[in-house]
Amino acid sequence: MIPVILGVSIISFSIMHMIPGDPARIIAGEGATKQDIEAIRSKYGLDRPLIEQYFRFMKGILTNDLRSIKTERPILKEISPRFLNTVQLAVVSIFISSIIGISLGIASAVRRNTWLDSFAMFFSLIGVSMPIFWLGILLIIIFSVFLGWLPSGGKGGVEHIILPAVTLGLATSAIIARMTRASMLEVLNQDYVRTAKAFGLAKRKVVYKYVLRNALIPIITVIGLQFGYLLGGAVLTESVFGWPGLGRYVVDSIFNRDYIAVQVGIMIIAMSFVLVNLLVDIFYALIDPRLRRG
Amino acid sequence: MKRLLVLLLVTFVVISFAAKYGGTLRFVMGSDAASLLPANQTDNISATICRHVFEGLVEFDEKLNLMPALAERWEVSSDGTVYTFYLRKGVKFHDGAEFNAQAVKKYYDYVLNNSLRRTGLFKGIIKETRVVDEYTAQFVLEKPFSPFLYRLAHEGALIASPKSIDELGADPGKLGRVAVGTGPFMLKEWKIGERIELVKNPNYWREGQPYLDGIVFNIIPEDVTRVNQLRAGDADVMFNPPPALVPTLQKDDRLIVRIEPSLRVIYIGMNTKKAPLNDVRVRQALNYAIDKSKLCSAIMRNLAIPADSPLSKYTVGYVSTGGYPYDPQKAKQLLKEAGQENLKLELLTPKGRYLNDYEAAIAVQGMLKEIGVTVDVKPMEWATYLSRLSSDNPDDWNYELFLLGWAPSTGEGHWVLYPLFHSDNIKPNGTRDNNAMYSNPVVDDLITKIGFELDKNKLMQDYAEVQKLIVQDAPWIFLYNMANVVAFRKELKDVWILPTEFVIIKYAWFDK
Repeated sequence: MIPVILGVSIISFSIMHMIPGDPARIIAGEGATKQDIEAIRSKYGLDRPLIEQYFRFMKGILTNDLRSIKTERPILKEISPRFLNTVQLAVVSIFISSIIGISLGIASAVRRNTWLDSFAMFFSLIGVSMPIFWLGILLIIIFSVFLGWLPSGGKGGVEHIILPAVTLGLATSAIIARMTRASMLEVLNQDYVRTAKAFGLAKRKVVYKYVLRNALIPIITVIGLQFGYLLGGAVLTESVFGWPGLGRYVVDSIFNRDYIAVQVGIMIIAMSFVLVNLLVDIFYALIDPRLRRG
Repeated sequence: MKRLLVLLLVTFVVISFAAKYGGTLRFVMGSDAASLLPANQTDNISATICRHVFEGLVEFDEKLNLMPALAERWEVSSDGTVYTFYLRKGVKFHDGAEFNAQAVKKYYDYVLNNSLRRTGLFKGIIKETRVVDEYTAQFVLEKPFSPFLYRLAHEGALIASPKSIDELGADPGKLGRVAVGTGPFMLKEWKIGERIELVKNPNYWREGQPYLDGIVFNIIPEDVTRVNQLRAGDADVMFNPPPALVPTLQKDDRLIVRIEPSLRVIYIGMNTKKAPLNDVRVRQALNYAIDKSKLCSAIMRNLAIPADSPLSKYTVGYVSTGGYPYDPQKAKQLLKEAGQENLKLELLTPKGRYLNDYEAAIAVQGMLKEIGVTVDVKPMEWATYLSRLSSDNPDDWNYELFLLGWAPSTGEGHWVLYPLFHSDNIKPNGTRDNNAMYSNPVVDDLITKIGFELDKNKLMQDYAEVQKLIVQDAPWIFLYNMANVVAFRKELKDVWILPTEFVIIKYAWFDK
């Protein structure tokens, strides 16, 4: 974990400092004098050599002494509420997409080459290829502007999370459905399934106890990966629905050249990705007894 | 019978008056505020919220007239260096602190002695702030400065509570989170990245104000969603919807769309130090080649009017110069005289910074093609663009054409002329905003004079003269003045739209 974080910090630091642009110039606003800009630069150590800036940054991380350049507030106070919002959205949408994706995948694998299968695969094709931005705006126009059932954006009560979570969940569910179907089909052709069927076990029992359980590893992998991506902040969905998450914040901070915000944001995203992968590994062990012994 | 009528009338008046009160207004904005410390913010959203929580000594009305606010009246000494303000009595900050001359001094001393992001508005101008008596404050200036009152109407001059400065002044980041002013609304809650909630100040000094119970600023980054929020009834006001969606909003009979002039002038600067743009004939030719009315109608969808001066029509000090009419024949002839018939130029432009900025650059490219000038349009991301233009490295000063906009946030022309045309501000000096590297000693003198001139008539003469000279020298291609577009619910009344790009809703009310 530590080498990953060190690596991420070095890469994000170098990329941010390689792109042209000066945070002090942007913050100072119109009509700022050279002295105003220099004052901001020296306040944030932007006038120091890069190596020194990097070590100051790492020291700041360890002592929790970093501030956003744009707002001058402690960076964790800026990032933690946004990260929690991102986690909320990610959890709800991964939940929605797992339910839709796994059920569609099972149904279409079990009833291969029927109208149900075609429908499910058509749905997931649309889900994968539909631009999320467009889908979000479409859902807002239908459910908020015309029907008036759900709020058109922002954060508030439970009703606010429905549209963004569904928008995000649809695309993800399509990926999960395809993976579930493929993985199920592979297992369905195994000898032990045929044997189980030959023994006259109920179809339902065969599907859920033998097929699904054995098909689960790749499905969990996909869900884990998708969840990791979602924790990185779904920039487009957050923008369309005004969901105050981490992804949009990092993007805005790139435009403002708020180096500190971007670097800390990226490190948190990287850490959560690593953490999710760890969780997935633990999950493997839970569902596959062989891995526990190994 | 007569009595009954009077009684009815009185009841009616009382009811209709009472009906103005109540309601929470939802203003949907594109991003979060950076800081609610007036002297430490530089973005429009922070400034808008500050203008509802804080007040200054003077303030703008909708036409940019200077009105008394926390000062009831003021006097200027005959040499223009001492400004005496007689303060309103009985005004309290939201934290209970008294507003008086000490509070004024405390605030301006704080701004001048710390390097805040708006310290530059007053540094080098105010020499000293004095407490004459409890309700009389005095500013002594370094030297006469005619736009001084306009500076005091700037959002950077809004006054924060002395108590809050004592408690948190050492940490401007923290002070920017508490927002304690004297204004009609008080900060209730700030959910980072999500919304900022203000509530009515029950002890506000303006009799009967404010009408609203509160204002919520909701943050929605995507402009299409902001439009949909308004259409779905989830928001009451939005500022500057995308031009393509303005007709949709206009068709919606629950909404009102107001299009008002802005002080922002969009121009294409020319590097007057670089051949062949150092030849005034070439610069004039490029001006004659642009059909500004067409730009305004086709590209800006009538949300702009042609510019004929570096100042917009509504900037204090504007005098019409006639500008450059569209005359491609004359343009060609001027280029011929200058021996520049096969000119190739590069035009740098931001993309998405101003409404349809890149589209305008492309249209200009087409119009210049007509007179035989080949333009290579280079769109750039804003931060990259800024650092390209304001680089201190002389090797970077070889750009040719660049598209930019400028709006003087103090409402007056000195804030345009001095930073953008005075040779003090040519890189690497001063504000470095004179990106055209324009230098004309007569213009320099006139701008300096405008800064000192206290006589209104003489001031306007200087303004007229300097605008004429700048237009003649043509360091810019003068394109257009932008408009501010504000869409809001029909029931909402008394929404103020300032040409300095502010929507003020502190006097607003719902007609129920």
